[in-house]
Amino acid sequence: MFVSWHAKSLDDDAVMKCREPQPSKCTPSISGLSPHARFAIFTTRDTMNISVRDREDGDMKLLVIIPAYNEQDCIVETVSELQRATPQFDYVVVNDGSKDDTKKLCLEHGFNLIDLPVNIGLTGGFQTGMKYALRHGYDAAVQFDADGQHVPSYLEKLAEEMERTNADIVIGSRFVTEKKSASLRMIGSRLISAITKITTGASISDPTSGLRMYNRAMIEVFSTKSDFGPEPDSIAYLARKGAKIREVQVSMRERQAGESYLTFTRSIEYMMRTCISILFVQWFRS
Amino acid sequence: MNITLRVFLVASAVAVLYFVVRKIKKSKFEASDSIFWLFFIAILVVLGAFPQISYGLSNILGFESPSNFIFLCVIAVLLIRIFSLTAKVSLMRAKLDSLVQEVALDRNEHAQQDKKA
Repeated sequence: MFVSWHAKSLDDDAVMKCREPQPSKCTPSISGLSPHARFAIFTTRDTMNISVRDREDGDMKLLVIIPAYNEQDCIVETVSELQRATPQFDYVVVNDGSKDDTKKLCLEHGFNLIDLPVNIGLTGGFQTGMKYALRHGYDAAVQFDADGQHVPSYLEKLAEEMERTNADIVIGSRFVTEKKSASLRMIGSRLISAITKITTGASISDPTSGLRMYNRAMIEVFSTKSDFGPEPDSIAYLARKGAKIREVQVSMRERQAGESYLTFTRSIEYMMRTCISILFVQWFRS
Repeated sequence: MNITLRVFLVASAVAVLYFVVRKIKKSKFEASDSIFWLFFIAILVVLGAFPQISYGLSNILGFESPSNFIFLCVIAVLLIRIFSLTAKVSLMRAKLDSLVQEVALDRNEHAQQDKKA
Protein backbone atom coordinates (compact mmCIF):
# COMPACT_ATOMS: atom_id res chain seq x y z
CA MET A 1 0.00 0.00 0.00
CA PHE A 2 2.81 2.35 0.82
CA VAL A 3 4.90 4.00 -1.80
CA SER A 4 8.38 2.56 -1.69
CA TRP A 5 11.05 4.46 0.12
CA HIS A 6 14.69 3.84 0.64
CA ALA A 7 16.18 3.68 4.05
CA LYS A 8 19.36 5.61 4.46
CA SER A 9 22.05 3.89 6.41
CA LEU A 10 22.83 5.82 9.49
CA ASP A 11 26.26 6.33 10.83
CA ASP A 12 27.74 8.84 13.19
CA ASP A 13 28.57 11.19 10.37
CA ALA A 14 24.91 11.47 9.58
CA VAL A 15 24.25 12.86 13.00
CA MET A 16 24.75 16.54 12.83
CA LYS A 17 25.80 18.66 15.68
CA CYS A 18 23.51 21.60 16.06
CA ARG A 19 25.51 23.16 18.79
CA GLU A 20 29.19 23.21 19.27
CA PRO A 21 30.14 21.01 22.18
CA GLN A 22 32.48 23.59 23.71
CA PRO A 23 30.75 25.53 26.42
CA SER A 24 32.54 28.69 25.32
CA LYS A 25 30.64 28.62 22.03
CA CYS A 26 27.35 27.93 23.72
CA THR A 27 27.55 30.64 26.29
CA PRO A 28 26.97 33.70 24.10
CA SER A 29 23.54 32.58 22.96
CA ILE A 30 22.49 31.86 26.49
CA SER A 31 24.14 34.77 28.23
CA GLY A 32 21.39 37.15 27.17
CA LEU A 33 18.91 35.31 29.32
CA SER A 34 18.21 35.88 32.94
CA PRO A 35 19.29 33.01 35.16
CA HIS A 36 15.62 32.39 35.86
CA ALA A 37 14.82 31.82 32.21
CA ARG A 38 17.43 29.13 31.96
CA PHE A 39 16.43 27.72 35.28
CA ALA A 40 12.82 27.43 34.23
CA ILE A 41 13.66 25.03 31.46
CA PHE A 42 16.31 23.05 33.19
CA THR A 43 14.89 22.54 36.64
CA THR A 44 13.47 19.20 35.66
CA ARG A 45 16.27 18.19 33.40
CA ASP A 46 18.72 17.15 36.05
CA THR A 47 16.15 15.19 37.99
CA MET A 48 15.12 13.48 34.77
CA ASN A 49 18.64 12.44 33.98
CA ILE A 50 19.03 10.97 37.40
CA SER A 51 15.85 8.95 37.08
CA VAL A 52 16.97 7.60 33.73
CA ARG A 53 20.33 6.65 35.11
CA ASP A 54 18.70 4.93 38.05
CA ARG A 55 16.79 2.60 35.83
CA GLU A 56 18.91 -0.46 35.23
CA ASP A 57 17.72 -1.34 31.76
CA GLY A 58 18.48 2.18 30.54
CA ASP A 59 15.47 2.11 28.25
CA MET A 60 13.52 5.31 28.30
CA LYS A 61 9.78 5.31 28.38
CA LEU A 62 8.76 6.84 25.07
CA LEU A 63 5.34 8.00 23.97
CA VAL A 64 4.49 8.35 20.29
CA ILE A 65 1.94 11.14 19.86
CA ILE A 66 -0.14 10.91 16.69
CA PRO A 67 -2.25 14.02 16.11
CA ALA A 68 -5.04 13.21 13.68
CA TYR A 69 -7.51 15.50 11.95
CA ASN A 70 -9.68 13.94 9.25
CA GLU A 71 -7.28 11.04 8.69
CA GLN A 72 -9.76 8.19 8.14
CA ASP A 73 -7.92 6.99 5.03
CA CYS A 74 -4.59 6.32 6.69
CA ILE A 75 -4.89 6.33 10.47
CA VAL A 76 -5.48 2.58 10.75
CA GLU A 77 -2.54 1.71 8.52
CA THR A 78 -0.27 4.22 10.28
CA VAL A 79 -1.02 2.93 13.78
CA SER A 80 -0.94 -0.73 12.73
CA GLU A 81 2.44 -0.24 11.10
CA LEU A 82 3.71 1.56 14.17
CA GLN A 83 2.55 -1.25 16.45
CA ARG A 84 4.18 -3.86 14.21
CA ALA A 85 7.47 -2.00 13.78
CA THR A 86 7.96 -0.63 17.27
CA PRO A 87 5.86 -2.59 19.76
CA GLN A 88 8.17 -1.44 22.58
CA PHE A 89 6.88 2.15 22.37
CA ASP A 90 3.53 3.33 23.68
CA TYR A 91 1.44 5.53 21.44
CA VAL A 92 -1.63 7.71 21.67
CA VAL A 93 -3.81 9.03 18.87
CA VAL A 94 -5.13 12.55 19.49
CA ASN A 95 -8.25 12.98 17.39
CA ASP A 96 -8.67 16.73 16.99
CA GLY A 97 -12.42 16.85 16.47
CA SER A 98 -12.32 15.16 13.07
CA LYS A 99 -15.45 15.42 10.98
CA ASP A 100 -14.87 12.07 9.27
CA ASP A 101 -14.70 8.52 10.67
CA THR A 102 -11.29 8.86 12.35
CA LYS A 103 -12.76 8.41 15.82
CA LYS A 104 -14.98 5.50 14.82
CA LEU A 105 -12.07 3.65 13.20
CA CYS A 106 -9.83 4.19 16.22
CA LEU A 107 -12.47 2.84 18.59
CA GLU A 108 -13.19 -0.15 16.33
CA HIS A 109 -9.52 -1.09 16.30
CA GLY A 110 -9.12 -0.47 20.01
CA PHE A 111 -6.42 2.17 19.59
CA ASN A 112 -5.38 4.27 22.56
CA LEU A 113 -7.39 7.38 21.73
CA ILE A 114 -7.71 10.87 23.17
CA ASP A 115 -10.79 12.30 21.54
CA LEU A 116 -11.01 16.11 21.60
CA PRO A 117 -14.72 16.99 21.47
CA VAL A 118 -14.07 20.05 19.27
CA ASN A 119 -11.32 20.99 16.83
CA ILE A 120 -8.67 23.11 18.55
CA GLY A 121 -5.83 22.89 16.00
CA LEU A 122 -2.48 21.12 15.90
CA THR A 123 -0.96 23.22 18.69
CA GLY A 124 -3.67 22.29 21.18
CA GLY A 125 -3.93 18.74 19.87
CA PHE A 126 -0.23 18.08 20.25
CA GLN A 127 -0.25 19.73 23.65
CA THR A 128 -2.92 17.25 24.74
CA GLY A 129 -0.48 14.46 23.88
CA MET A 130 2.25 16.21 25.88
CA LYS A 131 -0.06 16.56 28.89
CA TYR A 132 -0.82 12.86 28.62
CA ALA A 133 2.92 12.10 28.51
CA LEU A 134 3.50 14.28 31.57
CA ARG A 135 0.71 12.69 33.58
CA HIS A 136 1.74 9.15 32.72
CA GLY A 137 5.39 9.78 33.53
CA TYR A 138 7.00 9.38 30.12
CA ASP A 139 10.69 10.25 29.74
CA ALA A 140 10.29 11.34 26.13
CA ALA A 141 7.61 12.00 23.55
CA VAL A 142 7.75 12.12 19.77
CA GLN A 143 5.39 13.70 17.29
CA PHE A 144 4.38 11.27 14.57
CA ASP A 145 2.26 12.18 11.55
CA ALA A 146 -0.94 10.23 11.01
CA ASP A 147 -0.77 10.52 7.22
CA GLY A 148 1.97 7.93 6.79
CA GLN A 149 4.82 10.35 6.03
CA HIS A 150 6.91 9.20 8.96
CA VAL A 151 8.62 5.82 9.04
CA PRO A 152 8.39 4.03 12.41
CA SER A 153 11.80 2.36 12.16
CA TYR A 154 13.50 5.74 12.63
CA LEU A 155 11.98 6.23 16.08
CA GLU A 156 14.56 3.88 17.56
CA LYS A 157 17.34 5.94 15.95
CA LEU A 158 15.96 9.15 17.39
CA ALA A 159 15.62 7.58 20.83
CA GLU A 160 19.18 6.24 20.70
CA GLU A 161 20.47 9.66 19.75
CA MET A 162 18.57 11.26 22.61
CA GLU A 163 19.92 8.78 25.14
CA ARG A 164 23.46 8.93 23.79
CA THR A 165 23.77 12.71 23.65
CA ASN A 166 21.33 13.70 26.39
CA ALA A 167 19.69 16.07 23.92
CA ASP A 168 16.51 17.93 24.80
CA ILE A 169 15.15 17.72 21.28
CA VAL A 170 16.06 15.30 18.49
CA ILE A 171 14.75 16.21 15.05
CA GLY A 172 14.32 13.64 12.31
CA SER A 173 15.80 15.67 9.47
CA ARG A 174 15.65 14.99 5.77
CA PHE A 175 18.72 17.14 5.11
CA VAL A 176 21.57 16.16 7.38
CA THR A 177 23.36 14.29 4.62
CA GLU A 178 20.96 14.97 1.78
CA LYS A 179 20.84 18.23 -0.18
CA LYS A 180 17.76 20.39 -0.25
CA SER A 181 16.10 20.73 -3.62
CA ALA A 182 15.40 24.15 -5.10
CA SER A 183 11.63 23.97 -4.83
CA LEU A 184 9.59 26.80 -3.35
CA ARG A 185 8.99 24.77 -0.23
CA MET A 186 12.71 24.33 0.32
CA ILE A 187 13.35 28.03 -0.15
CA GLY A 188 10.95 28.52 2.75
CA SER A 189 12.80 25.89 4.73
CA ARG A 190 16.14 27.61 4.07
CA LEU A 191 14.68 30.93 5.14
CA ILE A 192 13.47 29.52 8.45
CA SER A 193 16.84 27.80 8.97
CA ALA A 194 18.65 31.06 8.33
CA ILE A 195 16.45 33.08 10.67
CA THR A 196 16.84 30.45 13.37
CA LYS A 197 20.61 30.46 12.93
CA ILE A 198 20.81 34.26 13.13
CA THR A 199 18.59 34.64 16.16
CA THR A 200 19.60 31.61 18.20
CA GLY A 201 22.89 30.34 16.81
CA ALA A 202 21.44 26.85 16.38
CA SER A 203 21.87 25.20 12.97
CA ILE A 204 18.77 23.22 12.14
CA SER A 205 18.81 21.74 8.68
CA ASP A 206 15.15 20.71 8.61
CA PRO A 207 13.18 23.12 10.80
CA THR A 208 9.81 22.14 9.34
CA SER A 209 10.23 18.41 9.90
CA GLY A 210 7.26 17.10 11.86
CA LEU A 211 9.26 14.22 13.32
CA ARG A 212 10.65 15.60 16.58
CA MET A 213 11.44 13.88 19.84
CA TYR A 214 11.32 15.78 23.13
CA ASN A 215 12.70 14.83 26.53
CA ARG A 216 10.97 15.19 29.87
CA ALA A 217 11.97 18.83 30.39
CA MET A 218 10.55 19.75 26.98
CA ILE A 219 7.37 17.79 27.70
CA GLU A 220 6.83 20.02 30.72
CA VAL A 221 7.42 23.18 28.71
CA PHE A 222 4.98 22.13 25.98
CA SER A 223 2.36 21.06 28.54
CA THR A 224 2.33 24.33 30.42
CA LYS A 225 2.75 27.03 27.76
CA SER A 226 -0.27 28.06 25.77
CA ASP A 227 0.03 28.85 22.07
CA PHE A 228 3.22 26.83 21.96
CA GLY A 229 2.92 24.48 19.01
CA PRO A 230 5.27 21.87 17.59
CA GLU A 231 6.54 24.41 15.06
CA PRO A 232 9.87 25.97 14.06
CA ASP A 233 9.24 29.08 16.17
CA SER A 234 8.91 27.02 19.35
CA ILE A 235 12.11 25.18 18.47
CA ALA A 236 13.88 28.51 17.96
CA TYR A 237 12.57 29.74 21.30
CA LEU A 238 13.79 26.61 23.09
CA ALA A 239 17.16 26.78 21.34
CA ARG A 240 17.59 30.32 22.57
CA LYS A 241 16.71 29.24 26.09
CA GLY A 242 19.55 26.76 25.91
CA ALA A 243 17.85 23.54 24.85
CA LYS A 244 20.23 21.06 23.27
CA ILE A 245 19.02 20.12 19.79
CA ARG A 246 20.36 17.32 17.61
CA GLU A 247 19.36 16.07 14.21
CA VAL A 248 19.29 12.57 12.79
CA GLN A 249 19.05 11.81 9.07
CA VAL A 250 15.73 10.19 8.16
CA SER A 251 13.81 9.75 4.97
CA MET A 252 10.14 10.46 4.70
CA ARG A 253 7.46 9.14 2.41
CA GLU A 254 4.93 10.99 0.35
CA ARG A 255 1.69 11.42 2.23
CA GLN A 256 -0.37 8.26 1.82
CA ALA A 257 -3.79 9.85 1.70
CA GLY A 258 -5.65 13.07 2.23
CA GLU A 259 -4.73 16.47 0.92
CA SER A 260 -1.79 18.56 1.97
CA TYR A 261 -2.75 21.23 4.42
CA LEU A 262 -0.38 23.69 2.81
CA THR A 263 -2.03 25.34 -0.14
CA PHE A 264 -0.28 28.32 -1.71
CA THR A 265 -1.99 31.00 0.37
CA ARG A 266 -1.62 28.90 3.52
CA SER A 267 2.08 28.47 2.77
CA ILE A 268 2.54 32.22 2.56
CA GLU A 269 0.56 32.64 5.75
CA TYR A 270 2.62 29.94 7.45
CA MET A 271 5.91 31.53 6.39
CA MET A 272 4.82 34.98 7.54
CA ARG A 273 3.61 33.66 10.89
CA THR A 274 6.72 31.57 11.47
CA CYS A 275 9.20 34.29 10.50
CA ILE A 276 7.48 37.04 12.46
CA SER A 277 7.15 34.71 15.41
CA ILE A 278 10.86 33.83 15.42
CA LEU A 279 12.06 37.37 14.71
CA PHE A 280 9.70 39.22 16.99
CA VAL A 281 7.24 37.34 19.22
CA GLN A 282 9.64 34.78 20.67
CA TRP A 283 11.95 37.46 22.10
CA PHE A 284 9.25 38.59 24.46
CA ARG A 285 7.81 35.26 25.55
CA SER A 286 8.09 34.42 29.19
CA MET B 1 -18.84 72.83 14.94
CA ASN B 2 -22.34 73.17 13.56
CA ILE B 3 -25.56 72.23 15.26
CA THR B 4 -26.10 69.22 12.99
CA LEU B 5 -23.01 67.41 14.28
CA ARG B 6 -23.95 68.23 17.87
CA VAL B 7 -27.47 66.88 17.43
CA PHE B 8 -26.05 63.85 15.67
CA LEU B 9 -23.68 63.12 18.58
CA VAL B 10 -26.45 63.29 21.17
CA ALA B 11 -28.80 61.25 18.98
CA SER B 12 -26.10 58.58 18.54
CA ALA B 13 -25.61 58.50 22.30
CA VAL B 14 -29.33 57.91 22.81
CA ALA B 15 -29.35 55.16 20.18
CA VAL B 16 -26.36 53.41 21.78
CA LEU B 17 -27.99 53.70 25.19
CA TYR B 18 -31.13 52.04 23.82
CA PHE B 19 -29.14 49.05 22.48
CA VAL B 20 -27.13 48.71 25.70
CA VAL B 21 -30.27 48.68 27.85
CA ARG B 22 -31.82 46.09 25.53
CA LYS B 23 -28.78 43.81 25.88
CA ILE B 24 -28.77 44.21 29.66
CA LYS B 25 -32.45 43.29 29.79
CA LYS B 26 -31.76 40.11 27.85
CA SER B 27 -28.78 39.38 30.14
CA LYS B 28 -26.45 39.30 27.15
CA PHE B 29 -24.07 41.89 28.57
CA GLU B 30 -21.68 41.62 31.45
CA ALA B 31 -21.60 44.54 33.86
CA SER B 32 -18.01 45.30 32.87
CA ASP B 33 -19.02 45.50 29.21
CA SER B 34 -21.80 47.98 29.95
CA ILE B 35 -19.35 50.24 31.82
CA PHE B 36 -17.38 50.79 28.61
CA TRP B 37 -20.48 51.63 26.62
CA LEU B 38 -21.87 53.97 29.26
CA PHE B 39 -18.57 55.85 29.23
CA PHE B 40 -18.69 55.97 25.45
CA ILE B 41 -22.21 57.41 25.60
CA ALA B 42 -21.11 59.96 28.20
CA ILE B 43 -18.23 61.12 25.97
CA LEU B 44 -20.57 61.58 22.99
CA VAL B 45 -23.06 63.56 25.06
CA VAL B 46 -20.40 65.78 26.65
CA LEU B 47 -18.76 66.54 23.30
CA GLY B 48 -22.18 67.28 21.74
CA ALA B 49 -23.42 69.41 24.62
CA PHE B 50 -20.24 71.42 25.23
CA PRO B 51 -18.58 72.27 21.89
CA GLN B 52 -16.14 74.55 23.77
CA ILE B 53 -14.26 71.40 24.81
CA SER B 54 -13.59 70.32 21.22
CA TYR B 55 -12.70 73.86 20.19
CA GLY B 56 -10.26 74.23 23.03
CA LEU B 57 -8.59 70.86 22.57
CA SER B 58 -8.44 71.32 18.77
CA ASN B 59 -6.59 74.59 19.26
CA ILE B 60 -4.11 73.07 21.69
CA LEU B 61 -3.49 69.96 19.57
CA GLY B 62 -3.50 71.80 16.24
CA PHE B 63 -6.59 70.30 14.56
CA GLU B 64 -8.06 72.34 11.75
CA SER B 65 -11.62 71.69 12.84
CA PRO B 66 -13.21 70.44 16.04
CA SER B 67 -15.14 67.77 14.14
CA ASN B 68 -11.84 66.17 13.12
CA PHE B 69 -10.93 66.04 16.77
CA ILE B 70 -14.18 64.25 17.56
CA PHE B 71 -13.61 61.69 14.82
CA LEU B 72 -10.15 61.02 16.18
CA CYS B 73 -11.52 60.58 19.69
CA VAL B 74 -14.06 58.01 18.54
CA ILE B 75 -11.48 56.12 16.47
CA ALA B 76 -9.05 56.07 19.40
CA VAL B 77 -11.68 54.69 21.76
CA LEU B 78 -12.60 51.99 19.25
CA LEU B 79 -8.95 50.99 18.72
CA ILE B 80 -8.45 50.62 22.46
CA ARG B 81 -11.58 48.48 22.56
CA ILE B 82 -10.37 46.24 19.72
CA PHE B 83 -7.03 45.84 21.45
CA SER B 84 -8.58 44.71 24.69
CA LEU B 85 -10.99 42.42 22.84
CA THR B 86 -8.08 40.75 21.01
CA ALA B 87 -6.41 40.07 24.32
CA LYS B 88 -9.69 38.74 25.70
CA VAL B 89 -10.22 36.41 22.74
CA SER B 90 -6.70 34.98 23.21
CA LEU B 91 -7.40 34.35 26.86
CA MET B 92 -10.74 32.72 26.08
CA ARG B 93 -9.09 30.50 23.49
CA ALA B 94 -6.44 29.38 25.95
CA LYS B 95 -9.14 28.55 28.49
CA LEU B 96 -11.27 26.73 25.94
CA ASP B 97 -8.28 24.71 24.72
CA SER B 98 -7.37 23.56 28.20
CA LEU B 99 -11.00 22.70 28.97
CA VAL B 100 -11.30 20.61 25.80
CA GLN B 101 -8.01 18.90 26.63
CA GLU B 102 -9.08 18.11 30.19
CA VAL B 103 -12.35 16.58 29.01
CA ALA B 104 -10.56 14.45 26.43
CA LEU B 105 -7.81 13.32 28.83
CA ASP B 106 -10.38 12.38 31.47
CA ARG B 107 -12.39 10.36 28.98
CA ASN B 108 -9.24 8.57 27.86
CA GLU B 109 -8.45 7.69 31.47
CA HIS B 110 -11.95 6.39 32.07
CA ALA B 111 -11.79 4.30 28.91
CA GLN B 112 -8.48 2.81 30.00
CA GLN B 113 -9.86 2.00 33.45
CA ASP B 114 -12.90 0.35 31.89
CA LYS B 115 -10.61 -1.73 29.72
CA LYS B 116 -8.66 -2.93 32.73
CA ALA B 117 -11.77 -3.70 34.76
